[in-house]
Amino acid sequence: MNIVVLVKSAVDEAELKADQSGHPVLKGASMKMSAFDMNGVEEAVKLKEQNGGTVIVLTLGGAEAKKAIKEAMAMGGTKAVHVLAEAADAPDSLGTAYCLAQAIKRIGPVDLVVSSEGASDTYQGEVGAMVAEFLELPFIAYAKKVETDGVKVRCEQGIRGTVRVLEASLPAVVSVVSEANVPRYPTLLQVMVAGKKAIEDIPIASLKGSDYPDTGTVVFDVTVQSASRKGIIFDGTPDEAARKLAGALKQEGVL
Amino acid sequence: MKIFGAEQERTLSSLYGAEAADVYSALLRSLSAVLEEEVAPLSLALDEGKEEISRPRRVLFDQGLCRLPHPAEFGGMDVPFGVYALAMELAGAADASTAMSLGIHNTVAEAVSRFGTPEQRKRLLPALLSGKKLAAFALTEPTSGSDARSMHTTAAREGRHYVIEGSKMFITNAGEADLYLIFAATGDGHGAFLVDGTNPGLKVGKALKEKLGMRASHTAEVRLAKCRVTEDSLLGKEGAGFEEAKQLLDSSRIVMGMICVGIARAAYADALAYAKGRDLFGKKLSDMQLTREKVANAAMETNASRLLCMHAARLKEVGKPYSSEAAQGKVLATESAARTCDAAIQLLGGYGYTSDDVHRHWRDARLLTIGEGASEVLRLLIASQELERER
Repeated sequence: MNIVVLVKSAVDEAELKADQSGHPVLKGASMKMSAFDMNGVEEAVKLKEQNGGTVIVLTLGGAEAKKAIKEAMAMGGTKAVHVLAEAADAPDSLGTAYCLAQAIKRIGPVDLVVSSEGASDTYQGEVGAMVAEFLELPFIAYAKKVETDGVKVRCEQGIRGTVRVLEASLPAVVSVVSEANVPRYPTLLQVMVAGKKAIEDIPIASLKGSDYPDTGTVVFDVTVQSASRKGIIFDGTPDEAARKLAGALKQEGVL
Repeated sequence: MKIFGAEQERTLSSLYGAEAADVYSALLRSLSAVLEEEVAPLSLALDEGKEEISRPRRVLFDQGLCRLPHPAEFGGMDVPFGVYALAMELAGAADASTAMSLGIHNTVAEAVSRFGTPEQRKRLLPALLSGKKLAAFALTEPTSGSDARSMHTTAAREGRHYVIEGSKMFITNAGEADLYLIFAATGDGHGAFLVDGTNPGLKVGKALKEKLGMRASHTAEVRLAKCRVTEDSLLGKEGAGFEEAKQLLDSSRIVMGMICVGIARAAYADALAYAKGRDLFGKKLSDMQLTREKVANAAMETNASRLLCMHAARLKEVGKPYSSEAAQGKVLATESAARTCDAAIQLLGGYGYTSDDVHRHWRDARLLTIGEGASEVLRLLIASQELERER
């Protein structure tokens, strides 16, 4: 079966710094594959291993997105398609979903599209559903378990302690949550081989038809939220320290 | 702690150019994710003897760390030695004992690759690079460390065999290794012999448990009594064993220096995080001038150590002499790591003195001003080469 997995190049949050005014320093910031997308790639590769076929890694972004593509390829992607959109041309979620859907149509017959629950930078969680809408395919969101027999896809969603089982006929679009799997670590040899694989580039302009949804989302401000820690160390024997900790938590109103 | 970051990426870019650095950065970024998730969290337990070194070592063998600098035809990756050296910095930052065990193992793999016959390479390298076989490097003896040339272990030829007699001391991976590279005096010089760990003439002494640092790595004496090996166990030329050992040590010193860069970074990161959060006299510890002096010294010495070791690695890659530069890098990196780790203990004060998680970095670094060439001997080597150049 042919599986397309959607990945996004996102700012490496572990290295993200804020300037004096609390705004993120994005210029020169380190980029990587969005952490949640690793679960999407893992699920796609797992399904390929179970059912045979191909995993096509699809992304939209600037030149820096090549890094995320290679990371996904090292995990087991067979082919990569990059919708090239430099920052000035980068669309919002709706425009991104439209372009990705157009790219999927170009890729050819696809059985399953896998996305993650959201991006680790914006966490809007919209693109998977929007791609399904543009492709007029069934969509199952937030799957924690995905199975397919090549005819239909069966997913489990975890909702407040209960499990809801949903099925859809293929082709379909599925988004997976981070509980769905533990992403594999590619070996260094796989990383090296992935770095040499060809990536098909598609300029974004070539995908925009007359029905391109130009919603013109405006971002007014982005600020870094930081949680400060008190860093209190309770000394004494384990028993004494535990009592002090419990006392402090009561004082804070936590207990 | 972020084990691979902008600092290492910049180093790769300046040494190998942007295009190659992209490939190597991807490799090391991927390796660092494994080190951060699977190795670094075990480090304290490894130091305390609550975890076995075989676990993180297996993880890194499976990742392919030991494949990096070796030929592709034997399962290697043909990556420049400097990239492997940087990988060992990252491994050192995650866990020094594991890094040292693998570094020593890979020195034996390099020995087979450089001096082995085609048959020895074909038979041993795939197993060494994948970690199917673990190796130990046995040069030091109870009465000769720095003065290794005066070794007492002998290998006497008997028909198509050699019989090895003697003792080797402070051998890393002893007891665990499947293969030992034993250096012994032969009639006309020295020889290097590949001895199987199951050879009945090879006995491993009691593990040295009371070590100051590098506690997770296995260290012991290796005794050789009527240790009979076939003549094809000789690695390289008979009589040239000591020269081969010197060349291998030049290479290994770069790796040990880089492991120390990693150790220093780990200690420095802990101390920096503490200093930024610790309040005293109405401000942060990191705002104190004397703290900043320590921070600046640590940054300067760590970066200088990395660059000097990488300079030696680049000279090795292009086939230029690098013996002095490797020794310089190793002396600077190991001594400055001990200073940085000491400064980290000082910044953390009582917590630094009483916590294994802090002072183990200093204890680990302390070994490497002694092992793989003591600083004093390396200074003599550096000076003699400098004086030679000035003639």
